[in-house]
Order: sequence, then structure tokens, then C-alpha cells
Amino acid sequence: MTLALELQGIVKSFPGVIALNGVSLAVERGSIHALIGENGAGKSTLIKIITGVHRANEGTIKVDDRIVHFVNPRAASREGIGVVHQERNLIPRFSIAENIVLDRIAAKTFAPINYREINRLGEQWLRRLELDLDVRRPVSSLTAAQAQMVEIARALSLQSKVLVLDEPTASLTSHEAEALFRVLRQLRDQGVAILLVSHKLEEIESLCDCVTVLRDGRNATSSGPLAGYDRAALVRAMVGRDFALEQAARIGFTSTASNSVPALELDGVSTSLGHRDISLSVARGEIVGLYGLVGAGRTELAKSIIGLHPIVSGELRVHGRAVRIGDVNSAVHRYSLGYVSEDRKAEGVILMHSVLANAGITIWARLRGALRLLSDSRILSNVDPLLRRLDVKAASRHAAVRNLSGGNQQKVSIAKWLAAGVEILIIDEPSVGIDIRTKAYLHQLIMNLADQGTAILLISSDLPEMVALADRILLMKDFRLVSEIANDKDYTKISADIMSRIQAVAFD
Amino acid sequence: MAVGRSSRSQPNEEASTALGLLLLIVIAFAVFSWTATGFASPYNLYTLTRTAGLNVLLGLAMMVVIATGGLDLSVGATGVASAMFAGYLMQDFRFQMVIAIVAALCFGGALGFCNGFVVVFARVHSFIVTLASMSIIFGAMIVLTKAESVRDLPASFLALGKIRWFGYLSPMLIVSVAIGALIAIMLRWTDLGREILASGASSRAATLSGVRVGSRIITVHALSGMLAAAAGVMLSIRNGAMVPSMAGNLGQEWLLPAFLAPVLGGTLLSGGRAWVLTTVLAALLVTELTSGMLLMAIGEFWVQFALGSVLLLAVLLEKGRSTLMGTGEGI
Repeated sequence: MTLALELQGIVKSFPGVIALNGVSLAVERGSIHALIGENGAGKSTLIKIITGVHRANEGTIKVDDRIVHFVNPRAASREGIGVVHQERNLIPRFSIAENIVLDRIAAKTFAPINYREINRLGEQWLRRLELDLDVRRPVSSLTAAQAQMVEIARALSLQSKVLVLDEPTASLTSHEAEALFRVLRQLRDQGVAILLVSHKLEEIESLCDCVTVLRDGRNATSSGPLAGYDRAALVRAMVGRDFALEQAARIGFTSTASNSVPALELDGVSTSLGHRDISLSVARGEIVGLYGLVGAGRTELAKSIIGLHPIVSGELRVHGRAVRIGDVNSAVHRYSLGYVSEDRKAEGVILMHSVLANAGITIWARLRGALRLLSDSRILSNVDPLLRRLDVKAASRHAAVRNLSGGNQQKVSIAKWLAAGVEILIIDEPSVGIDIRTKAYLHQLIMNLADQGTAILLISSDLPEMVALADRILLMKDFRLVSEIANDKDYTKISADIMSRIQAVAFD
Repeated sequence: MAVGRSSRSQPNEEASTALGLLLLIVIAFAVFSWTATGFASPYNLYTLTRTAGLNVLLGLAMMVVIATGGLDLSVGATGVASAMFAGYLMQDFRFQMVIAIVAALCFGGALGFCNGFVVVFARVHSFIVTLASMSIIFGAMIVLTKAESVRDLPASFLALGKIRWFGYLSPMLIVSVAIGALIAIMLRWTDLGREILASGASSRAATLSGVRVGSRIITVHALSGMLAAAAGVMLSIRNGAMVPSMAGNLGQEWLLPAFLAPVLGGTLLSGGRAWVLTTVLAALLVTELTSGMLLMAIGEFWVQFALGSVLLLAVLLEKGRSTLMGTGEGI
């Protein structure tokens, strides 16, 4: 076995912080290598150095035993390093083929574009990934999973010898993830070195050959075969101590007064976005899960409930009373309804504003005094206990949320709803891109909220999370609810049940 | 990734900008006192503080809209139209001065409200909306006034223009600074101001947190119209008359000072951050530079050239700074 990619003694500092302090990494040709660690351990920085986005202050990078210097991402891709970032980097209105061979379209400045050649090349790479798609389709018409495959095709088309994938399954369902893994295994067998960043230990165990663990900007383990570690050992390496992986199972919700009025109830609701005949109910203290493939319309339903999009027919009831919610403002302040967005950076928090401003935004109107005056200290005295309880780590309460780790940002985006004391909370993909420790913490928090009487509608593509938290699971497909499953927390049984039902519906 | 977590707090970033501007004001003062004859004379200082009063208001009028990520090209047209309105109330309808001025502020506020209303409900960028309303308001004003000035004004109104404190200070600057203080309090210490900044920083996140972003955008446009009206009234007091061309054709002469003050003062053009203190200081600096260069007789066009260059430089510096640092504290 030879090394496709080797990093030694990488040091990278930013003003005020050392992100990487002597990190080494060795990725063998024809292997799938996991790069794991908690948020803030330095994974993203290391990826950026490998792909030429950042330059290391110290240390060497070798590709095929040759020392290389990447001055920019283009230099890295010339050396055969292909990357698929967490976010999609495709041009939506361009076709699949155009996106795949984009670099080469631009290569010749004045030559006319040869579409037949472009489509031929595109098709060649799609075939290699066994994707049955028309290369002339615009990327905007693809599902998240398909778009991801197109990005992999693009990375491969650059003759990549090393393929870097940053949390590739974050927005995929387990079904779609399996398809991706099959492709990755094929690529490995063809000799490609694959570096995979993931928070999901289950998928790492089933997929990867080797592993490198980072902690606090250093190697917690050097690169080595995964066979030497069990899950507990990996967690210990990441966290630095023993950590209870098994979370406290939620004590099943028992509707003590089964005839009591649900907190949130949808009765034959259709929305302007295309939902048809949605009926569901969430009781006080209940966690109802909403599962489905990406694009099934779950987030859109949540946004319609909180008043962002109109409900065109059917009835929405809050505590038994039929209501029409005109905007998010009345959802929050009149009906005590909150929504934790899946898109944390764009919708969940205001990145450039402080922790204080983010956590207090829902209670400004309530706290203001005469002449609408409102001091920082008044807000602080209301949100500080919550921020403490959530253990939000920030330089100060005035630090910009942009400078917080993903997990702490998510805590802030939840803190504002705790501050508002909402009775109904819709939580959309709470743990995307969040490390295991924060994730376990968030799960505990969600369960505690329910125990205290909050009605929770949980949207998640993370099946283990769904099974761990939800009391009932509703399946959504093509903007309709198709099935309901009582969750008895037996993961194997429930996940098989969900998968078979989703596929059954697919073949209708 | 905890990249570049600095220990600086937000007020310090504003303070350092303020300190830099103060330093520039002092340096420019020293240079002009030495090179431009009569720069430090009491009379020149008096006219300088008088113009500064106007420029501060213009800067604030633009700043409040920029805070939400928009802009208002109609400040000049709105200001002049509102002043003309006050003039007619006093000349043709013999309104009392105070009532006429309040009516002008309301008139300006109403024009701004219309701007904001169209921006929100037609979902068009304020650039286009205010470009159109600039032409509409100015055109209608010229038609209605037949481009004639209003000169038959009450003695009390004309007397305002002659007040001069300590021989070198115009009360107009004091009035503008007081208005600035009120806006600073509004932005920093009321829920209204916090919501305005939240709407500017991320309208999606603010909306999903229950902020009525649309009504905040209308609020800042109405406020901008009011401040423009105040500037129009102030200029009329100085001129002793309401002149339809006092801000140039379409009110365009006000645009450069209106943008210079907030941009030099560190207000982000994309919205979400606005500092009053530095905007006021930047308006002072711009007034000082203009006055000094005019006294040095380097020609009106070169002054325009220089101010335009300063605007571009300030934008580029801010861009460079945020790219290099990539950090900064929250607001």
C-alpha cells in the first residue's frame, strides 16, 4: 500500500487562536479514511488546507510521495485532490453535464462551446457512478442526494486520486446514504483514496478502513486501521474521556388525559406550497416525529404552520381553538409557537449579531419599558440563566455568533425559544453538523422540554435520532402524510418498518 | 471552528473608528489652519458648523435605511419638497412657524412611508423605488411650485438663521447632534432599534424569530423622510427662503454627503450595523474637508473628485478590513 496523501506536522493559526498544532495524516491509496473529531477539533481547517483554501504555517503536504504546495484550490485540484463540500456548489440553472465539466468549458476563452462533447463527458462520469439521469437536466431539478452525486462526478472528472467528502450524508436519508456508500466502495476498489469527515459513527464503522481522530487541534490518534477501535474507543479518543454513548431512553409519553385537547392540531390542511389534506396532532408533552425523504415537504409544512406561507384550506387549531396565523410574529407572540430552523446559519441565528441579541430577539417586545426602552442588562437577566443552563460556550455574551462552533450556534438558536417560553416548538433537523456530545445534550434538552409540557414536532432525517426521541413517527412523502408508526424505541424494527413503508409508497 | 475569537467587545470597535475619525478631524483642522487662509476664523467656523448640521442630518437619514440593508436616493427630493410645503403653509396660509415645521416633518415622513410601503409590498429593492420616487417627488414639486421660491416668511423663522453662539458655533449643529443622540438611543436601547438592526443583518432569521421585518423597513424609510425634511427646513432657515433648487436638480447634491457620513462611519452597506457617533463624526470630517478645500480655492470640481475618491476608498477599506480580519464582535 502506498500513501496517496500525507500530511506531517501541520500548524495553522488564525489571529488569536491556534486551529491546528502539529497534525499528521496519512491516507492510503484504495482506502476509505475517516477523519473524526468534535466540533472545533480542527477537521474543517485541515480539509481547507488539503484542498488549498488555507495555507499551513508549518508542515508538509505530500501527494504520491512528492512534496506539494497549494497556493489555491485550483492548485490542489491539479494535483488530483477532489472535494465535495457540505454545502452544494453547483450552478442550479446549468445542466448536469455543464456542471460536471465546468472548468473545461471556461478553459478555452473564445472557442465555441461543444455541447455534444460536454454531454458525452458528463454521461461518461454519470455512468461510472451508475446514475441514470439525463445529463441535459438542470441541476435545480435534482434532489439533494442526486445533486451530491453530481458533485462527486465532478470531483472524479478532474482525475481525482484523493476524494475528500465533508459530511456527505448530512442531508441524505439512510436510504440515499446507502446508495452513496456503494459508490464510494466501488471507487475505493478502483484505487481512489477517500477521506471522509462524518459525525455518524455507525456509518464510519460500516464504511471506513482507516481512521484519524482529531481533538483540540492535535492528533488524538495517528492514522491507522479502524479495526483497532470499537465505538467506545473512538468516542474516548474524540472526547478525551469516557462518555456515555447510550442516551437515557425517553420514558414513553403516556397521554395521561387522552381526551385532553391537543396543543397543535392540523385538520385536512392544504397549503399554497402544495401540501394536501394534512391531518396531525401534537399533545402537550408529546414529541411527534415527522420523517421523510429530502424534498417531501416537511420543512415547508413547518413554515406554513408558523405563518410564513398561507394555509389555503383545512383548519389549524392551537389548544383546540381554530386560528389563522398571518405571520410569524403572531405565531410567536399570540399563539406561543416557535420554529428551530434546519438552516442554522441563514435562518436560525443572525451570524453577525451577538449571542445576547440572538437569544433575546423573541422577548424584546415583551421586556420593553416605557417609550419602548430596553437595556442590555434587562435582556441579559432573562437569557443568561438559559445560556448557562445550555452551557453556551462563547468568549462573552457580546461575541458575534459567527465566531461560535456549530453546536453552540444551535444552542443559541434554541435558547431564544426557551426564552420566549413557547408552548409548541417545531424543531427541524436539530443535530446536522453537530458533534456527538452536543447532540446527546440536545436530545436530553428536547426530552426535558417535552417532560415540562412543551408540545414538540420534530423533523429529522437522522433515523436513530428520530427513534430515540419521537413518541410517534409520521411519514411524509410528496407533501402528503402517508403513514403513522407508534415508536416502541426498537431501532432495528422501527427503521425496517419505516424503510419498507417509504418504499411501498414509492411503488404505488 | 473557533477562528479568531478576539477579546474585543463591540463598543470598542465603534470607539476605535470614532477615535480614528477624531484624529483625522484634528489633523485636517491643523493642516487647513496652516494652509487655508481664514479657515480658523470665527465666521468660517460658524458656517462650517452650520453646514455640518445639515450634513449630519443627511448622513443619519441615509444611515437608518442602510441599517436595514436598503438605501434612499430620494432624500434630496423629499427634503426640498417638505421644506417647500412648510414654506407654503407659512406664506400662503399664515401657519405658525412651529406648526409649519412639524407639518413638514410629517410630510417628509409620509413620503418616506410611501417609499417603504412600495419596497415591502412590491418586493422591489429600495434603489429602484427611491430612484423613481426621487423623480416623481421632485417633478411634482417643480410643477406645483412653478419652480418659484418662497420668500415671504415670518420674522421668527428668518431670525432662526441669524442665531450664532460664542461667535463661531451654529445651533444647527447642536440640533442635529441632539437628533443623532435620539436615534442612537433608539437603535441601541429600544426594541424598535434592535429589530431594525436584526432585520438588516438577516431578514430571514429575523422574520423566523417573529420580527415584523416589513414594518421595520417602512419605519426606517418614514424616519429617513422625516430627517430629510428636517434637513430641508434647516437649509431653508440658512437661506432665509425655500428655494426649489437648493439641493440641485432632483436633490442630487445631497446624495454624496448623505452616503459619505454613514459609510465613513462604519455602517455596513449590507445592513445590520449602524453607528450614530461615528456617522456624526464622519459628517463633521466631510464638512471640514469640503470647507478647507474650497477655501484653498482648488475648485468645486476637484472637491467633488476628492469626496468621491474618499467614498470609494472608505468602501474598499471596509471590504479589506472585514476580509482580512474575518472576525469582529457581535452587535
